[in-house]
Amino acid sequence: MRADPARRPRFNLPSPVGAFLILAGAFILLKLIQPVIPGSVILLYMAFVIAGILIHITLDDGRLKRFGDFFIGAEGEGAATRAQRWGLLLVVPLALGWWAYEATRPSYAPPVEIFQRHPTAGEEILGRIKVPEWVATPAKWSPQAIAEGKALYRGNCAVCHGDNLDGEGPAAEGFRYPIRPANFRDSGTIAQLTLPYVYWRLTVGGIQNQFSSAMPAWVAPADAANATTLHTYDLTPDEAWKVIIYLYKTTGFEPRKE
Amino acid sequence: MKRDRALLAQGKKPEWDKRVGDKPREKICLALSLVALFLLLGAGTAGAQGPAPSAEYRVFLGMDSRLAVWIVSQLHLMFAAFVLAVPMFALVIELIGWRSKERRFDLLAHEMARLLPPAYSITAILGATLAFLLFTLYPRFMGYLADIFGPTMVIYPLFFLGETFCLYFYYYSWHRLQGNLKWAHLLLGLALNIFGTAVMFIANTWATFMMTPNGVDAAGNLISLNNAIWNLAWMPLNIHRLIANITLGALLAGAYAAYRFLTVERAEERAFYDWMGYTGNLIALFTMLFLPFAGYYFGFELFSFSATYGVTLMGGVLSWLFIIQAIVVAVLFIGAAYYAWLGLLRIPGSEPQRRWTPAFNTILIVGFMIWATPHTMAASIEESTGGFHPVLGALGVMAPKMIAVTLILVVLYASYLLYRRAGRVITVSWKDVGNAIQWGVLALTALAIIALGVYGYFAPSEVRITTSILQIVVLIAGILFTFILDVFLLRGSQAVGVVRWGTMPRRGQYVLIVLSYVIVWLMGLMGYARSAARLNWHVFGILEDTSPGAGLPSLGEVAVIVTIITLIFFLLLAISFAISAFMGRSLVSEVESQTEEEHQ
Ligand code: HEC
Ligand code: HEM
Repeated sequence: MRADPARRPRFNLPSPVGAFLILAGAFILLKLIQPVIPGSVILLYMAFVIAGILIHITLDDGRLKRFGDFFIGAEGEGAATRAQRWGLLLVVPLALGWWAYEATRPSYAPPVEIFQRHPTAGEEILGRIKVPEWVATPAKWSPQAIAEGKALYRGNCAVCHGDNLDGEGPAAEGFRYPIRPANFRDSGTIAQLTLPYVYWRLTVGGIQNQFSSAMPAWVAPADAANATTLHTYDLTPDEAWKVIIYLYKTTGFEPRKE
Repeated sequence: MKRDRALLAQGKKPEWDKRVGDKPREKICLALSLVALFLLLGAGTAGAQGPAPSAEYRVFLGMDSRLAVWIVSQLHLMFAAFVLAVPMFALVIELIGWRSKERRFDLLAHEMARLLPPAYSITAILGATLAFLLFTLYPRFMGYLADIFGPTMVIYPLFFLGETFCLYFYYYSWHRLQGNLKWAHLLLGLALNIFGTAVMFIANTWATFMMTPNGVDAAGNLISLNNAIWNLAWMPLNIHRLIANITLGALLAGAYAAYRFLTVERAEERAFYDWMGYTGNLIALFTMLFLPFAGYYFGFELFSFSATYGVTLMGGVLSWLFIIQAIVVAVLFIGAAYYAWLGLLRIPGSEPQRRWTPAFNTILIVGFMIWATPHTMAASIEESTGGFHPVLGALGVMAPKMIAVTLILVVLYASYLLYRRAGRVITVSWKDVGNAIQWGVLALTALAIIALGVYGYFAPSEVRITTSILQIVVLIAGILFTFILDVFLLRGSQAVGVVRWGTMPRRGQYVLIVLSYVIVWLMGLMGYARSAARLNWHVFGILEDTSPGAGLPSLGEVAVIVTIITLIFFLLLAISFAISAFMGRSLVSEVESQTEEEHQ
């Protein structure tokens, strides 16, 4: 049916133009998503799209040839084709140039952070944290301790982690970078963690160390009970444990066992 | 063949045998291998006796101990993987050739086996160096390991010896054990494979004991050697490595074939190497289908061994490494699929099948985009949404990734089905019904996988594990059913034309070469991941690493070192290939010239 070239549909997009439109379309689509997707992820996605296009073009000799021929031009081609060719030859280098400019232009933003959701604590550090007997097994959690934990949570943690433990406290928006307060209802936080680990997080906080989160340190490290910081630690070890069991009880997760 | 035996009876060698075995350089190779072997045995037994418990760590010639051991052990692992994998498919291909009586299979198997002797010598030299380095630089740690695993460290050299003898006999007796004696050769190949696998399993006990120690008390004293061997990570690593090694060997053989394809001049040789590259890629693609599951199994056991592994691998220091892994794995799959699709070009009458590739391509790319979506993102201050992103976060979790990866496998399998029928006319009377059922079942499989995934996405996490297992079950059931149907459907089908081997576009060959580089790099990366997951422990939770090299390097540094290791590996491999080329001209050309002589 396609034997007669004259019968071909008149509007026939040359494949380089098609490829360009797909690329540009994918890029714009990714850029349109709100809240914005980080540039690193867009780059990753675009690499896949480019790979897909390359695969498509090179899977067929005819397609590959037509792709190359477009840039060479043929006798008697229409003005439209010529315009498309010069358009591409203009737009693509310009886009690449813009990209290079953006990437190298000096900027005053802090460097992109690779954030680790759960900073790694050595076994020897976690090993020093002894879980009290009344905390170790969920069955032994007393309603009174949980109630006290709730009060402590409301007073200290809820502004960031939210009344619902979903990380949506009134102050949460302020900690957009590099990371928001944890949403304890997500299976990726306390559900995966052991009791000593959660306790350890409350001893180290975040802002003053390499973990660079906004979370303050709440309780003195296990091996330095009398340590002080700029402020004194707000919670005693017992209080910290009470908050922790409140977190687990309310979200319905069980602490991970060793 | 008859002529050969007649010649042999007269005490003469047949034509093709002249180049093998007579040359002094052959003997040099053999001698070198033996030297390497004894070096290794010496180092192995020295280790088994245990060093004097003097220093904890020593420094040798001022080098960075950790870096030295890292590089040498990784290179040793890569070569060991290669010499383990190549005999595996050499044997299978030889078997196919024996059953089908097609000469080219035997040639291919021999051509692959030819890569073995030099590579094996290098493996042994690297192994000896590694043992030397470990016992010199880490005396306390190796002393401890030898205390626990003493008996296995004595058995190890024995198996190793067995592997060595089988390997050299397997290769050097190829021509003698033909015809009626073929079964003996095949048995030799089988023994070689058994020894090789056993050697790997033994070494894996040490490596996995370091990750998930078992059979010892809290102070690290041995209670049960049996339990120490059967530690939690042992079987998963055995399985994952066994499969991954076959993939690796297949892709390296494919790259070798691609290189020969690009450089040989005669059309027959090109056809042969084209077919060899195709076979390598097919084996790689097939084995790769199982790797995600084997990997998840391995990761799952680590995860259940210690919460620290869970945190380290999924949210902590190694979480970014696994994103890189996902991307590299995507490149592997996409590359192998591309080569397979491109292969349709050499089948006359495959146009109906080629029409499917755009759709498959799209699914594959979109699937891998989802698979590689990071859960936590590297973001600048303007872009940051606090580490979670409502859209990406929804894609970055387990359920969508399982849908993506399982659908990718469906597509790859469907490509294989198409490949089987490319250029063929199905002749059975029920072909329309059969086709409809087949593709219908495949579509249902895909739908069921999506449905299970969507359900799992909204379900609590315990249910999600069940749905992912169900997805795999559905996938396997779908594949089994359609494959059996396919066998009947294609029975008696007629080929429209012969496959034009040797007409694969050159770009396909470059893809094969790139793939071999990618898998070696991936292996280097994951070797590091296995070590790094232990953090500052020689033996996790039992024997701490107190040396200056205990900390983890940055990911950028890791990438550089893995790249250097990869380059050294290819350099050494090129040397060993050069030696095997030195050992005789290509076997195909021998056979062809032999037939030419016969015609004269
Ligand atoms: C100033 C805001 C703020 C307050 C107040 C705060 N946190 Fe946090 N918290 C954060 C941020 C931000 C994170 C996430 C960063 C991270 O994981 O390091 C976090 C993380 C955590 C984590 C780690 C979760 C994980 O998955 O690793 C725990 C546990 C935690 N907070 C408990 C508490 C408790 C208990 C309190 C009250 C005593 C509290 N936080 C008060 C900001 C806060
Ligand atoms: C998805 C497809 C996967 C592919 C193609 C793949 C491929 C490979 C390869 C080629 C190796 C090197 C084998 C060797 O050292 O002998 C390897 C090793 C490894 N893989 Fe995977 N893998 C996959 C999935 C996974 C997953 C999901 C995990 C999860 C934890 C994982 C964990 C590991 C580890 C820890 C090693 C190191 C083994 C070692 O060197 O000792 N893999 N993988």
